[in-house]
Amino acid sequence: MKTSGKALAEKVKQIKESDMLSIRSESLPTWCPGCGYFGIQQGLNNAIQQLGLSHHKIVNVTGIGCAGRYAFFNDAYGLHVVHGRLLPVATGVKMANPELTVFAVGGDGDGLAIGAGHLPHMVRRNVNVNYMLFDNSTFGLTKGQISPTSPIGTVSKASPSGNVDTPLNATLMALSYGATFVARLYAGDPKHNTAIIKEGIKHEGFSIFHFYSSCVTFDKVYKTWNNLKDNVHPLPPTYDHANLKHAIDHVLEDDFSMGIIYKND
Amino acid sequence: MLKNDITVEICGTSGDGTIAAGGLLNEAMSRAGFSVIAYDSYPSEIRGFGRCVTKSRFGLEQMLAFSDKVDVLISLNDSQSYSRTPFLAKNAVVLFDNKPLAKVKEGGSIAAHVGPDANLFGVPLINLALEAGAVRKGKNLAALGAFVALFGLDPDFFRPVITNKFKTKGAEVIETNIKIFDAGFNSTLNNYGEQAVEALFAPVKNKNKGKILVSGNAAIAKGALDAGLELYFGYPITPATPIMEIMAKELPLKGGKFQLMEDEIASIGAVIGGSYAGKRAMTATSGPGLALMAEMISLGVMTEIPAVIIDAQRAGPSTGIPTKTEQSDLHAAVFGGPGDSPRIVIAPTNVKECYEYIVKSLQLAEKYQTPVIMLTDCFLNNRVENVLLPEKSSDQMKDCNIYPDNSEKGNYKRYKITESGISPRAVPGMEGFVFSSTGLEHTNDGKPADTPQIHMEMNEKRHRKILNALNDLPEPEEFSTEKLLDLGLITWGSSVGAALEATLKAQKKGLKVGMLKVPAIYPYHSDHISNFMNRCQEILIPELNFTGQLANLIGHLHKKVVLRLNQTTGEPILVCDIINRVEDILAKINK
Repeated sequence: MKTSGKALAEKVKQIKESDMLSIRSESLPTWCPGCGYFGIQQGLNNAIQQLGLSHHKIVNVTGIGCAGRYAFFNDAYGLHVVHGRLLPVATGVKMANPELTVFAVGGDGDGLAIGAGHLPHMVRRNVNVNYMLFDNSTFGLTKGQISPTSPIGTVSKASPSGNVDTPLNATLMALSYGATFVARLYAGDPKHNTAIIKEGIKHEGFSIFHFYSSCVTFDKVYKTWNNLKDNVHPLPPTYDHANLKHAIDHVLEDDFSMGIIYKND
Repeated sequence: MLKNDITVEICGTSGDGTIAAGGLLNEAMSRAGFSVIAYDSYPSEIRGFGRCVTKSRFGLEQMLAFSDKVDVLISLNDSQSYSRTPFLAKNAVVLFDNKPLAKVKEGGSIAAHVGPDANLFGVPLINLALEAGAVRKGKNLAALGAFVALFGLDPDFFRPVITNKFKTKGAEVIETNIKIFDAGFNSTLNNYGEQAVEALFAPVKNKNKGKILVSGNAAIAKGALDAGLELYFGYPITPATPIMEIMAKELPLKGGKFQLMEDEIASIGAVIGGSYAGKRAMTATSGPGLALMAEMISLGVMTEIPAVIIDAQRAGPSTGIPTKTEQSDLHAAVFGGPGDSPRIVIAPTNVKECYEYIVKSLQLAEKYQTPVIMLTDCFLNNRVENVLLPEKSSDQMKDCNIYPDNSEKGNYKRYKITESGISPRAVPGMEGFVFSSTGLEHTNDGKPADTPQIHMEMNEKRHRKILNALNDLPEPEEFSTEKLLDLGLITWGSSVGAALEATLKAQKKGLKVGMLKVPAIYPYHSDHISNFMNRCQEILIPELNFTGQLANLIGHLHKKVVLRLNQTTGEPILVCDIINRVEDILAKINK
């Protein structure tokens, strides 16, 4: 059902009058229309608002790539760093001032290609930083090359005959490194995500949120909205997120279950 | 003949206790009132067959560099030591083991390798150690005892130093080691009589009150701690590692935080993060680490975030020779990284300045919101001197950040264009000053921008800011007796000591030679430097790198092509090398 123009305008007015958007900065996101990152941002904004975090006590350390631009789209302290190094920088920020709520925001290229070496050590340090890993399996800002999470066979300008390299699974990596809070979330479900993000922010220690997102511009085959929507599903009702072995077994079998995969307080 | 100073070398292989013996000797001689300057040369392997040499110069006055010749050679392993004999002074004293356990091959003893002028003293070092109930490694202490006896020094300066060294190992170990030391002392006294070597020194007046025997690395760590360092992030790399190890132990005791990182990129990243959040933060590395940090340093320049990096240079390129000294990172420090990224680079020239300059670096980084690289080198990091360090003061701890005025609240422009180039800096947690920073070119409120005007304006601002820092940087120091000079030396870092000693010697000979020490590498005092250059017929720049990196940087200030003395032996530059070159040049001028 299509929303009428009048109804849409009314809805926008309502949202603007509420303080839901107060964390948004005056700079409008430069992501492509329909990008999954809008959904991720919505969930994050809701969580920040519901927890009542003061904006001046939030720092977003962001990497390079589409996700990295997040630093400019929020009314909070933002530090947009070099490619792949957001986790060490976030470590420094949090250790300098533990009163700050620190988000590290970056994409799959940033965090799993050039910056992948920092993830295990961030987990080892267990500094209380919230890592938002926006995973759309695409190097979007350089116009659509395959990333470390692209499925085998993905054709791109960097893989004209199709990708032959095995994709990484960031959720599984985080579990095996020993992360104490691991969530896997779907960009298209901000409502569900809000509660989980809140829980992760409150978690004392490093939290990683692995977001499945689409790249509407460069990926028309794999992680499209339709494919994601058809495949994602909640964790089974019997799922025990306090059991690491259980979590690893589950993730090895199920690529599309969304929720708190592992939590150890 | 009475001398003002003597140079002592102890030589052995890795595992002979060479470096340990050198440390004990330096500490005891410092307690005895001598000025000390010492440096160890050792291989990169922990256990192996590499040669270890400790070189110490003991003097009545503060010394600037090492002497070219060795007055006393203590051999803990003759097969290594005879390579040192070409460096022996005339009538040098050579102390060696005359009853080694294994049969000595013909020509295997050092006695076969010294000239007829040498004074040989054989002492059964290993036997004495074994008799005292220790293993053969104890020979190093027997050698120290023998040295003390030969020179008629007071053993009571040595015994407490030995006790202190082994205090964590228990009373028995202390007792055994003192026993070996005494055995070496008594045996030598019995065999050669009291003060067998003609007194080398005039009586010592103890001027060491308040002085501490400290390495460049320890002085850097102490300076940073006294300056109220709050965060240290690091990754091990020779020869900077000791700074990190001191921080790991000391910084948490002073309320700061230490974190070992996964690599140098992470170390500088965390420093940038910590400084961004308003804390005093630093790291230390060597050339290979500096190369990895280049991109992050450039981020610090672009986002105008303080960061202090010690680059303890070593022989390069690539992994190079990790335990050997060189001054070959100057270009990387000044220019390394993407784009035009001006930053401050300074270079201390002795142990005392290591302390003073790290304090300065931490303050400059805050005031000018910039990465500051402090260039040291293996020879400076590892050398020990007994020096009087400044007292810790509130001035050193002073917060040098320039914060925005309350009136800017709500309308804060982080990168406001100012005359000085410095834009007041808010830190996260301050209400009403929220801003974004980015490595992208940006507007005055930190939002990405790519217009020609903004890029030009911001580039100018960043460069203007760093050039203004010149007012706060240590000025060049001139050592000349005359206004017009035949030859002017210009030098930097650890080579300054040798160059200055060479200059003073030349001046004593009546030569018209002067010297300019340049502590600020970037930005540099071009007026001051060119003024000096223009008063000299020729300019010679001695430095420990292959291409003449300081000469490349400042050579254009001279009306003529500057002359270079580039050395990459991995060892400190010698006074005689500089003098020889100086005399060559003067001979040509006066022809």
